[in-house]
Parts: sequence; structure tokens; C-alpha cells
Amino acid sequence: MEVEDIIQKLWSRVRRKHLYPQLPLPTVIEGGEDCALEIKSKQLSISSAFYEKLKGKMDGEEIVEAVLDHGITHYMYCPWDFHTHITLYNEAKKVVRQKDQAQRATTYFMDVVTDTYCVKEKDTKIATLYKNLPKSGVHEVLAALYEKIWGEDLGTGGHEELVNRLARIPYLERKRWRESIKKFTEVIQGILEKEVANEQQSSRRESNPMGEHSLENYSLEEIDRGLREFASAVEDLQEFKETVEDLKEELEGKGYSAGGMGRGKGNPIDANLLYYMKLAESYTLPIRKLPIEKRGYLHPHAHKPWEIGKPFADIDLWTSFGKIIPGITQIWTKREGETHGEFEGTPDCLIIIDSSGSMINPREKLSYAVLGAVCACNAYLKHESRAAVYNFSDALRGNKVVLEFNHDKERIYQAICRYFGGGTALDPDDITYLLSCAKKPDIFIITDMQITNLEKLIDFFKKIENRVTAVHLGTNVHTARFKDGTDKRTNISLFNVKNKEDIPKIVLGKVKEYLTSSSEWR
Amino acid sequence: MARGESKDHCSEVKSVAMKNGYFQTRIRGIYKYISENLYLNRPDIFIKDESFNSTLLFGLLTGLNRGKELIIGEPGLGKTTSAEYVGSILYRYPLGVIWGSEVSGHPEQTEEKIIGRPHLGELNKGRERVVWSNFAQIPVKIVDEINRLPETKQSMILNGVDRGNWEYLNEILINDEYSLFATANYQDRGTNTIIAPLIDRFDILVESRHPGSNIAYTIGKEALSHNPLRHPQYEKELQQILRGDNSYEEKMALAEGVCDFFGEYLKEKLGIEGLSKEERRKINEERMGLDFDIDANAFVRMTLAELSFCHKFGQKRSVEVCEDGCHYTGYLCHHIKNCASNRLPMSIRNYAQTLAWFLEDDEVDLEHIRLIMPYVLAHRLQWKDSYLSKKEGEARNDPFQIYLVKEATEEILQRYNEQRDYLLEALSVGYRACAGEAITPLEGDHPIYEEIKKDIGAKDEKSL
Amino acid sequence: MKNPFEAFHQAGVRKREIPLDKILKSKEETLTKILSGYEDLLKNEAKDLVWLMQYSTVIKAYSIAEKGMEGLEYTAEDIEEFCYALDHSDQIPYLITGPAGVYISVLCNHAKEEEICLHLQDLNVKINLLGYRLPANKKLIVEGNVGDFTGIGLDGGELIIEGSGKNYTGAGMKRGKIVIRHNLGFNTGHGMTGGELIVGGRIKGLGKIVGGKVYERDQLIFPTEGIKPLYV
Repeated sequence: MEVEDIIQKLWSRVRRKHLYPQLPLPTVIEGGEDCALEIKSKQLSISSAFYEKLKGKMDGEEIVEAVLDHGITHYMYCPWDFHTHITLYNEAKKVVRQKDQAQRATTYFMDVVTDTYCVKEKDTKIATLYKNLPKSGVHEVLAALYEKIWGEDLGTGGHEELVNRLARIPYLERKRWRESIKKFTEVIQGILEKEVANEQQSSRRESNPMGEHSLENYSLEEIDRGLREFASAVEDLQEFKETVEDLKEELEGKGYSAGGMGRGKGNPIDANLLYYMKLAESYTLPIRKLPIEKRGYLHPHAHKPWEIGKPFADIDLWTSFGKIIPGITQIWTKREGETHGEFEGTPDCLIIIDSSGSMINPREKLSYAVLGAVCACNAYLKHESRAAVYNFSDALRGNKVVLEFNHDKERIYQAICRYFGGGTALDPDDITYLLSCAKKPDIFIITDMQITNLEKLIDFFKKIENRVTAVHLGTNVHTARFKDGTDKRTNISLFNVKNKEDIPKIVLGKVKEYLTSSSEWR
Repeated sequence: MARGESKDHCSEVKSVAMKNGYFQTRIRGIYKYISENLYLNRPDIFIKDESFNSTLLFGLLTGLNRGKELIIGEPGLGKTTSAEYVGSILYRYPLGVIWGSEVSGHPEQTEEKIIGRPHLGELNKGRERVVWSNFAQIPVKIVDEINRLPETKQSMILNGVDRGNWEYLNEILINDEYSLFATANYQDRGTNTIIAPLIDRFDILVESRHPGSNIAYTIGKEALSHNPLRHPQYEKELQQILRGDNSYEEKMALAEGVCDFFGEYLKEKLGIEGLSKEERRKINEERMGLDFDIDANAFVRMTLAELSFCHKFGQKRSVEVCEDGCHYTGYLCHHIKNCASNRLPMSIRNYAQTLAWFLEDDEVDLEHIRLIMPYVLAHRLQWKDSYLSKKEGEARNDPFQIYLVKEATEEILQRYNEQRDYLLEALSVGYRACAGEAITPLEGDHPIYEEIKKDIGAKDEKSL
Repeated sequence: MKNPFEAFHQAGVRKREIPLDKILKSKEETLTKILSGYEDLLKNEAKDLVWLMQYSTVIKAYSIAEKGMEGLEYTAEDIEEFCYALDHSDQIPYLITGPAGVYISVLCNHAKEEEICLHLQDLNVKINLLGYRLPANKKLIVEGNVGDFTGIGLDGGELIIEGSGKNYTGAGMKRGKIVIRHNLGFNTGHGMTGGELIVGGRIKGLGKIVGGKVYERDQLIFPTEGIKPLYV
């Protein structure tokens, strides 16, 4: 087939031009004649119908090369990864407030960036391709923009006001893309609204000639990584939540779920949980290495030359060849063997988290207390231990969650993220019950210490032998009381946190300490 | 031609028309034969529209460029056998000799077993004379399960591994050519770590992988009753030569003669041609003549900059911790603890050139560099715990060490792609400045720009 | 010593310039000049980073700013870039909203365009003194919230704020129209002698108004039966 032959002929040259992208050989599809290219998980596919349509106006090789230039640059430059894609979408959404329009704005912006990069940096026929493409609506405006910023005649014009504003955007400065896409979207907002309205009326969606951009472009691993980076980068939980909610359908359709990939379709995604899950991935401990253990007996370790005066008992007759001569004779040095041992086991972990009214609602704003709690859970789960959760507000009135020890990350996260916002009182019996379900679990308690029955808690902690880490925010009479009450207990560590951002690090520091000393744990 | 005499290949080699790809075709033949008959495998790397198995390909490249390779993997997945086959065919030593020369890693290994021992007869006469081990003498050196050697024994073989210099009882043996293959299982009871100076001396790290259930089944089904690379007669002759009283140079010349016969046997019986010493020398010469293209050159410099630079402390040091908030936190220097050694660029050069030679390319380009970089770097980088813990949960197809460097290489490549022209201009300005022109170096975000400034003596104005 | 950059001595870099490069360069140059004018204003007016909001200081700042931007060619988009740079850029070491507002007003008043739209929703600070002395042939639309003294001394122009303002909005305005879509603070229209001030939301308090009209949520609240002009 003609297109296939051209691809075979051009591919190595095009790859070299773009510095050898890790992409498989593009294929040909019987796509629509309006859409040149499809990109699915790194596989570029060129539409033969599109090629046939344009063949009369342009050289066949130039068509294919231009389309490949465009597709490869999307992979190599913009957006490069899923994180960049959703960041751009997120910024565009701040302007238009509508998912469909924001997606289109993102697609068009990425196309402008990609094509401008190609025209400036590579030897490409993209300009000629655009010259021969039909133009209407947004595409007409973009073509006029290309004429202005590329200095090429594309057979279009007009839209001066819009183009003048669009031409001032620094498309090739990656660091300013967030700000640039907002300006871009502001300018084309009116046209986007018209486009969407027209499509609703005609019930026909106009496809982007250079291909659409969606989650189909990315693998599940790329999406997972992108969401993690996005969670770390956003300023606000709500931003993450909004974006994930917008993409929920597509994510679920791809089989992505909060608990991990490959769990199959049908698991609804909870954006809040996903946020903390992804954020916690940035605060993790490495898997504990095999401990170095002494074997308990001496073994011959190495030879060293025998010297006159040294004892004969350790002479190695074999390596000395039966000779007792300085320079030839060798003796063994012995030492206790050290080899990699085995894990003795890691205790389980009980998280006690305060979700009273004085604590931040983790579903509205980023709660470092919750983040610290999930980090601790992650660390224990990673070491194949279990985690339990006691989430309390006014526990005596039933505002509590008591989750028994288990390995199910999603259930644990749900329990931690639950927010009551009521009074602050815990029920020590609940904690006693949970402690009885595991063998001397470690306890992490995160609270602001404004607990009405604090004395009960202090008395409770005085009686237990478990390792306890208490993290509290700020200093008040309650924290002082807790400190006094538990000061003599060596198994209790108390941390007063000034910056709540330090909570995850403090918690992880303690977890690390516990886990490295777990070889003593039986 | 009498046996035992080395054949003079020089004139014959010179007279053979150096057709394009003549040697390469032979090496491909070796690859194909081993892949189809001896070391059944699945391809796992792709370059220039071809796919290869990494263990086998890098084994051949190691054999060709006199490199040092560390092969890791689960027990029983062909780490040692792949090295044995490659060494046997490339150097034309029968397999039995290779087996007899291997050093196995266990705590009771001694210098006498690894390097050499006194000649007992001479010793009884009161004279010192060294009987060198086969391992020290033959050019194919295999250390099996090197991480079972205690650290003191690892230190003992450092110089030999690095330069082919073996010392015992004030005598020295210097190998004029050799390739080293070392295998290591993953950490378990009874293994030690490989000491840092030793691990840095390895050029590359590869994993010998499971070939998949279908191929594994055929391995079991078609196991040969005898190994085609064995030849008891030649093995005996070689053993006699190696045991003999001649000097090392004489022994090697004699051994080459037997190797010629074994080579003919391989050609006749198996249809594959090993390489004579002269041919190996010629190949080495050819591959050393391959230049790096401008992109490959600049990219390697960019990578080296990220692996050695530290804005705060002058250079990366494993005892100095890089803190958050540095301007360069987006670069590799922030994620690693140690500094890249000067062996790294040598390894990159050797393997990239050999790979380009093998693929019959005119010069080394980015694609060659991108392929070999993960294998050259994997064992040399000490990653920070925070970085490791972020990445270890990610799905991958490679062992974690290699995966990390593959990801890092792609990130550096993306940075290079974005600023290629500017970087080339900066390097060009660097040239002019070093040549004496009064010119201001270009500023940029990447550590390479600071390195250029340092090289031309300009001050670093960026605040800490 | 061998030149370590030998391989790059002929690194022929293909530098293709496209019109976008020129546009952006020109934009940067203009912005640099505008920023420079602002810095000069600060040097002259805001000693020790203190600027007192007084009638005389505002007038003086205005004339210094006018002088500083003599001969400067710029567009409405450049003004918007300047506003963005005020809040986000490292180029400006400190932002004092009073002089900044005066400076922006000068830029708007002397811009070639008759209608200027500033998108300031993303700014973290609310700029004071926007629309100062906006002349008759000008229309200034500001998207976002603004600070104190918005539209003071308005001189015939039309000022539309697609957001809320703070205190002393429209103070001393002579003629023209100010439209505020949402709310205002205290002392609204203080000393205004003419023109219209139309507020879509709530006004916390009126100032001592001399003349003109003030509307709150489509209701004329000045002059009314209860509130008369100060000097009648």
C-alpha cells in the first residue's frame, strides 16, 4: 500500500530528525478523511483516507512526513507526558469552566505549540499541510495565527484582533505554558462556545484534522504516574478533585481505579482518596533491605602472611604448600560470618486520627494530618503488615470509624479520610478492642489534643507497652498535660509540629525507626 | 602447517577485502547460532529496526571490545552459560577450557586458586616460580557468583579485573587482551555486596532473563546430550599448554595455534566463525575509529554533567547530602548520592562504538547512546532513598536498577531535545573561549552550562 | 591543554527565526521599558517603600509617570502583561499598589486603543487607583477585583469593573461612568461632583457626595429623598 511504503521509506529519516523517539513503526488505518492521525499508547496511525484526500494537492511523502512530524513532536515535546496534559487542561478549565471547552482549548493549544516547535526547530512541511487543509471556525483562526507567527502564507487571513492577541503568547517556553494556555483560552473562548453550540445543534462533532488528544494516548502506567505528579503539583485539593471528576468516565473506562491499575472496570474512583493516595506516593519509605546478621560462629575468612612469632595453630597448610617459610606460609584470619538474613516480621499499625471540628476537612482542603496517617499506613502495608484505623470525633455519640486490621488500602484510606467535624472525645474501649486484634501493633495518633476526655487517653497510654507516636499541632494546655502524663513512658514519642507540612516527614521518620528495629520484634 | 605453531594471520587478514560488514556478518552469525541453539532467549531491546536479546548482545560487545560485564539474574537463567558460549566462540577456546578456568565465588576462595601458586617442585628446591592459574592466563575470564566472594577477596582481584595485571610472589603477568564476565545472583542469604571500587570497574550490567514459558519448555525438551562447543582433544592440548613451563607470551602464541584448529572445527561443524587474535585486534581498531556525532557527543556531556555536578559543594560526593531548595532539584544530581567516575565515559565510548560498529553505522549516534546508557550506568549510580521509594512501585519490564536509568535517560533526552540548539551553541562558544576569543559564555538552567563556564574559567554567578 | 570543545568548533547551529520570535522580543523590550518606568516612579515617590495616599502625592506620581513613559510605544496587551508581571515576576522586587495603580492608569489613559480590557482575575493583589483620571474617549474594562480609590478623578471615560471594589471608589469623579458588577466598600463616591456610579451589588457606605448619581442594584440611591448632595 502506498502510504505504508512511504512510511517505510521515511521512518528512519524522520526518527533521526526527531532524535530517535522510542516509537514503533507507524501504521495505516482506514480512518476518516478529516482526521490525519491517531495516537494510541505511542502507536501513531495515519489515515489513508486523509492521505488520499490531500494527495492531489501535495506531494505524498510530504504529507506523510508532515503528519509524522506532528505526531512525534506531541510525543517528544508537547505534552510529553500525562502530567503536562492534565496540568494544561486544569489551567484551561479555570478560564472556561466547562469540560468540553477546556478539552478543546487544551488540544488546540498543544497543537499550536507542537506545530510551532516543528516549524522553528525542524525541517518540516507542516505549513504546506495546513495550507491545503480546509479551515473553518477555530481552525481558521489558528491558521491565521500560524500565518502571523510562522511567516508563511497559508491562504487564510482575517481575525486580526484575535490573532494579534494570540501571537503574543510564548508558545515555546515550557515553563510558561500554564500561564500561556490561560491567555490562549481567554482569547478563543468565544469561538469555543460557538463551536460547542453549533455541534449541539447539528449533533455532529467536527474532528481535529491533526488528531484528538485524550486518555487514549496514554498507558495506565503513564496515567498513574501523571496523577501522582499532578497531585504533588496542584495548590489545592479541589483542583485535583475537579480534574479527576471531569476525567472520571474516561479513567474508569480505561480500567483505572484508585486502588491500583488492572482492577477492572466498574470500580468507581473517589477523587479525594485518589488525591491522598497519589500524594502519599511522594512520601514513601524504601522497602527494607535484608538485614546483615552475624552467624554466631567463626569461619576462616582470609589469608594473611605468616610472620615469625605468630602462632602456628591457624596456619593453612594447603596454601602454604606444606612449607613454613616467611613469604610462603599463610595463616587464616577468622571472623564471625555476616550474611544477609531474613526478615523477622513487621508489626501491624493502628492509626488513631482526630476528625473533630477543629481539624481540617480532608475532602475540602489538604489535611497534612490525614496525609501523615496515610503515609504511615502505606509504609506498613508495603512491608506486608496490616493497618487498622480509629477515626474519632465525638466517639461516645457514635461519630467514629473503627476499621479492623486489614490489607485493603482503599478501605483504610476511606476510613482515614472520613470527616465528622463534631466534638472531640474518644472511647478507649474501641482502642483496646483494636489492639486485641493484633500482636502488639505500633500506634500512631494524630490530633490537636483538644480532646475532652484527654485524661482517659493518658491513663490508657500509661498502661500499654506498644510503641506510640503522638503527633499534635500547636501547643496548648492539653498538649502540655499529655506530655506531663506520658513523659516517663519510654515507648511513647511525642511530636509538637509547628508547620503542618512536617507531619508526613515526622511520621515517616518514626516509622523508619520502628521498622529498622523490627528484628527485635517477635 | 604443524600443530602448535601459531598461524600468521596478519597477511591473510590484510589480503581479505575489507568488505563492508564482513566481520559484522560473522558476529551476527555467532549471535544467531547462540540464540537459536545454545542460549534460547527473547529479544528485549530494539534498535534501528532490529531486536536483540540484551544479555547476548552485550556479551558479544563485551567480548569484542575487551570489556567487563556483570550479569545478574535469578539462579539458573543462563548467566554463566551465556558468558561461556560467547567467550568460547569469540575467542575460539573449547568450552572445557573455559570451564576449567572459571573462578567461582565462595568464601573459601584463595589467592592461590584465583591467581597463581608457587611451583611446588621449584619451591622444594628453594626457588620461587609462579604457576599462573588458567583464569589469569586465558583471555576469557569468568567469575561465577562474584558477590559470594568476601570483600577481601574482591579487593584482591581489583587490579587484575581493571587492567589485566596479575601479581603473585613478586612476579607479574599482564594480559594483552581479555574480557571479563562476572555473574551475581540477587541478594539472599550468603551473599555480600560487591565493593564499590570493584563494581565501578565493570563496564556494564545486564540481566539474564527468563525466556518465557514457551521457550523455557523447549530448552528442557531439546537439551543436548553433548555440548557442540566441547572438543576434548583441543581442550587437552590447551590444558597442557597452559600448564607448561613456557613464558606467558609463548603460551599464548601456542594456544592461538590450537584455537585456530578449534576455529576451523567450529566453521566446519557448526557453520560459525570465531575470531582470531588478529581479527579481534582489527575489529577493535575499526570500532575505535568511529566518531561520535555531534548530538551523541553533546548528550553524553549533558549526562555526565548531571551525574557529577553539585552547585553547592563543587561536585557530587557521596558523603555530602544535597538539600532541597537547590536550583537544580529537577536534575539527576539531586536524586543520586555519588559522583560518576571517569570510567563511565570510557565505558560509554567503548560500548557505543562497538554497537555502532556491529550495526554497520558510520558513526555513533544518539540511538546507540540511548540503548547502552542504562546498562552502563545501572550499577554505578547510588540513588537516594526518597527517589527509590517513589519509583519502586512503578510497573516495569526491567530490573529496578536498569529501569531507573532508562527513565532517567529518557528525561535527559527530553531536556536535550528541548535545548539542543542552544546547548550546541554554548559548546561552540566554549570552544571559541578556550581558543582565546574574548566571548561571554551562554547562560542556561542546566548544569552543563556551569560546567562550560568552569572549563573556560568564567565565574559562577548563580546564588546558592 | 587540548581544547575540550574541539568537536563543536563547527557546530553549525541552525537558527531559524520565525516572526513569533520577533513579536516576543519586541514584547519583552516594551515590557522592560514599562517596568523601568515603574521602577523610576518608585525610586522617586516611594522612599523607604512607603507611599502615602494623598491628593498631592497622587498628582505628583501621575506627572512623574507621564514623563517616564514619554515616547513609549505599547498596546493594551502590554499593559496587561505589566499587571501580570507586577504580581508574578521576579523582575519587580516590590509591589506598592498605590504607585502601581497610578502607573497603570497613566498607561491606560495614554494608550492608543479607545477600549482597553485588563484581565486581572488571577492577580493575588488588588490594585488601587485604577482608572484615575480616565479621559472622555476611553473605556477601561477590568476583569477581576480591584482595590481602593478606583476611578477617582474620572474625567469622562467609562470604567467597568467585572468584580468588586473596595473603599473610596469614584471619589472626586467629575464626569463619565463607573460600573461595578459586584460590591463596594466605604466612602463610595466621596467628593464626586458628576457622572454616574452604578453598582450591581452592595455598597457598604457612601462618602460625602457633591454631585452626580449613584445606583445600587438598579435603585438610585443618590440623590434621593434621604440623601441630598452635600452642597445644595
